[in-house]
Amino acid sequence: MPLSVSLSIEGDTTVIDLSGELDAKTAPDFHRTIEKAAGHGTTTVEIRMAGVGYMASAGLRSLVFAQQKIADHVTIKVVGAIEPVSRTIRTAGLDRSIVLSDE
Amino acid sequence: MSDMVELARTPVVLEVPATVQALGDIAAFVLRLAGRAGLDKRASYRLRLAVDELATNIVMHGYRGGDGRITVRGRSGPGGVQIAIEDSAPAFDPVAGRLPPCPGVPPQDRRIGGLGIHLALTSVDEFAYAHRNGRNISTLTVKAEGTDPCPPRP
Repeated sequence: MPLSVSLSIEGDTTVIDLSGELDAKTAPDFHRTIEKAAGHGTTTVEIRMAGVGYMASAGLRSLVFAQQKIADHVTIKVVGAIEPVSRTIRTAGLDRSIVLSDE
Repeated sequence: MSDMVELARTPVVLEVPATVQALGDIAAFVLRLAGRAGLDKRASYRLRLAVDELATNIVMHGYRGGDGRITVRGRSGPGGVQIAIEDSAPAFDPVAGRLPPCPGVPPQDRRIGGLGIHLALTSVDEFAYAHRNGRNISTLTVKAEGTDPCPPRP
């Protein structure tokens, strides 16, 4: 299943909306969008993942890439991830630096 | 192999080129077996994640992007699914290559590749590795939820 990625700005938040499956094949699309989002200069980058039904470690690599590309003072949020996806993020310890939120 | 899981005698086999594009075929193959075994959503997800991570590792690091093939043999039964993944890349024992998250190291400095193997190994109920006749053979089992007295931690 392909990954659909959209990028928008809502006030002072850059929103990346993901839908589909995030794996080694589709993660490069997410990577490219993160690079664009890093240039927006908003105080928050919100990654909406409610529509992501599957995420492999390639998705974790993308989230680490987001931390590297986006300025330290910018809050990165992952919103709405389903339970197995948020479990994968926690397993990698990324929940210490990325805010995981249900809404 | 645990005697708790009753599996079909004859495995079904999928052989694919070791490419990122073939990972979707492997996922579909594995999910069909999960459906046949009656695994619920959570166990099916664990099975898919484990096989996907091991196969991705073979594509990216085993054959290093070069030519190669991956053979996936699957057997399903009412108690679970057993998958054997075979390749002819240089010998690699996933258990030795596992890299659990290290709390002292910032996430951006961690090796995510090793974490993929860690994710795979923590998703399955049983795992074994062998190197025979020049081939890596990883065999993993995911049991139907509620049948394993010590399932992977949520």
